[in-house]
Amino acid sequence: MRYQRRGGALLASALLCVVVLVMSATSSARTSAAPSWCGPKKITLGLTDGFGGNSWRLVTTASARAEAAKCPRVTSLTYADGQGNTQKAISDIQGMVAKGLDAIVVFPDAGKAILPALRSSYKAGVVTVPYRVTPGGKAGVDYNVFVDTPFTQAGENWGRWIRGVLPKGGNVLMLSGPKGNSQGVEENKGLHKILDPSGKYKFIGEQPFEVTNWDPALTQKVLSAAIAKYPKIDVIVSDFGPSLVGALPEFTKSGRTIPALATSDGNVLGCFWKKNRAKNPTFKLFTVSTQNDHARLAIQWAVALATGGKKPASTHFPSLVFENSVTGKPNPVQCKPNLPGDIYLSAQLSAAEQTKLVKK
Amino acid sequence: MLDHVTPEAHESGSKELQDAIPRGARHVLSRGLTTVTVATVALFAASFLFAESSLSRGVLLTMLPFAAALAIASLGQTLVVMQGGIDLSIAGGLSLYVVIVTKYPAGDNSKLLTAIGIAFVAAIAAGWLNGLLIGRMRLNPIVATLGTNALLFGVVLWYTAGIPTTTTARLASIGGGLWLGIPIPVYVAVAATAVVTAVVKLTPSGRRFEGVGANETAARTAGIRVKRHRTGAYVWAQILYCLAAVLHAGIVNQPTAHEGDNYLLPSVAAVVLGGTSLLGGRGYLVATAVAAVFLSQLDQFVLALGVTYATRTLVQAAALALGVALYTVNWHAAGRRLRVRRAASVAPT
Repeated sequence: MRYQRRGGALLASALLCVVVLVMSATSSARTSAAPSWCGPKKITLGLTDGFGGNSWRLVTTASARAEAAKCPRVTSLTYADGQGNTQKAISDIQGMVAKGLDAIVVFPDAGKAILPALRSSYKAGVVTVPYRVTPGGKAGVDYNVFVDTPFTQAGENWGRWIRGVLPKGGNVLMLSGPKGNSQGVEENKGLHKILDPSGKYKFIGEQPFEVTNWDPALTQKVLSAAIAKYPKIDVIVSDFGPSLVGALPEFTKSGRTIPALATSDGNVLGCFWKKNRAKNPTFKLFTVSTQNDHARLAIQWAVALATGGKKPASTHFPSLVFENSVTGKPNPVQCKPNLPGDIYLSAQLSAAEQTKLVKK
Repeated sequence: MLDHVTPEAHESGSKELQDAIPRGARHVLSRGLTTVTVATVALFAASFLFAESSLSRGVLLTMLPFAAALAIASLGQTLVVMQGGIDLSIAGGLSLYVVIVTKYPAGDNSKLLTAIGIAFVAAIAAGWLNGLLIGRMRLNPIVATLGTNALLFGVVLWYTAGIPTTTTARLASIGGGLWLGIPIPVYVAVAATAVVTAVVKLTPSGRRFEGVGANETAARTAGIRVKRHRTGAYVWAQILYCLAAVLHAGIVNQPTAHEGDNYLLPSVAAVVLGGTSLLGGRGYLVATAVAAVFLSQLDQFVLALGVTYATRTLVQAAALALGVALYTVNWHAAGRRLRVRRAASVAPT
């Protein structure tokens, strides 16, 4: 008995030692693996969205959190969703400044309307990093740095693919979000830059793009009207691929085959392509990454500036090609039929982690 | 029909008064239905002449399901307007029911019926809350339903974090399916319109309901329970929104968390175009349903014209303004005033 008890105590203390060792090992491993952009100073970090209400934003926010978690100097991360309300987006930023956060990363959906809030945050000494949507203003005057992505690059990528699959030219229909949104306008410029010199491609529909507000119901109406109006649509360009899944069957309803599609990725779209390609020989698919990881670069910049870490090499997040159904390079079309449609296989965040988020 | 008697008619002798009161009104096409039917036929004729592609089979098969869902939602709005109210919580309510019927089953067909059941329970709860605030506590309908709307959107965000879910395959096959070449939602809309019209126009409780909307004091004096009918309007409205939401979720494969926003203005517009007075009283349910078809075809017509988004929005606004003007401006009196003024300017010479 006594021996046993002593043995038990020994075992327990041994276990405890092991646990402590493992814990210290992992924590030291974490410290040693801290990325170069994670400097020595401890900071609190804020993240604000102008509109957080879709799965893309959810995955993007989770990506930002995952990136911030890589740096142990970030002691807390506060998130606020403007819910599409500019007034709330502004007060979210002001609230974070008032709370005394050290750095904030802002998705300025409302564009220039957010600039005064960014400026006052920057003037208050908070490291301010807007990303993706241009808020106007200047780095070093209104905010620390603007982490952008050249949307023209996406347009150029699509254009080059279109030249490959339709070498003889054809009719191009472009769909984007709200009227005049800068993303759609820039993408359209890239597209024209690549396609115009040959003179063989005709842009049909409203210029620079058909307005869909990225709303699936409106997309359905717009596309069915375009199908009826234009007897020949050779390729559709869209900057929100998954929203087309409800609308593409309009072609089948009208007794036509789905044309080539140059867009951004999404699991539901990949699966839709796999299901419909046999009956629609003209349905070729090309996607650029939907860029959930753009938020990671913005976090890196904010953390680097606030903690005194090494600044990332660039303020531009590149447009990367993800799937190409014709060449299979860099990837063939991806589909995980058992996982939700609303995940993005081009993101760094694993499919399993995204599924957890979406199914929460 | 007394609301159509103009003050001028009262003043100017019995013959005009008799003319202003339609005889056997119940069996005659209402002014709203006549107007909106003529407008719809004219619109289809214009579509044929100027934008033929908007009448292609593909476009009609897209337009009709949306029109059906809008018609059902607008019937709900009509019931509320008949009580002199307005329901702004249609946006939040419809969004909530859409996310319930998509997110709860999350792709599993066997859970679809339960999800629809939950959505209807939620609809009854939301309608009862509106009814409590407006019928019993006598809050202004705009303020009360705006509050409920915010509350419902809060629930939507809490439940989904704003994340849309893909529609279940079975629901998609109902919303997007055809039976005898006609979209299934159309049958549902026709049935819903028939049932609601029959209940309101033919049953005693329906007649009481309309009576409360027409004149609250008279109804109360007659011993009708006004509060209960007021509350009932909001509950039945939400139930109809829920039915529309189930169809809408099936029509749109990837509904967002804010689908209801697409229904707020059009539902009120359909009620107004159908000829139901925003002051309450008599409701023109069939006319409302036809107006929903008018509005949906108008969408496709301007899309097919190929005009810019800005022009599209302007055309829709103009159609609505014209519709409202048709009913609210007293054309008879305006015409007479014009004649009098002309006569006056002629007299001195």
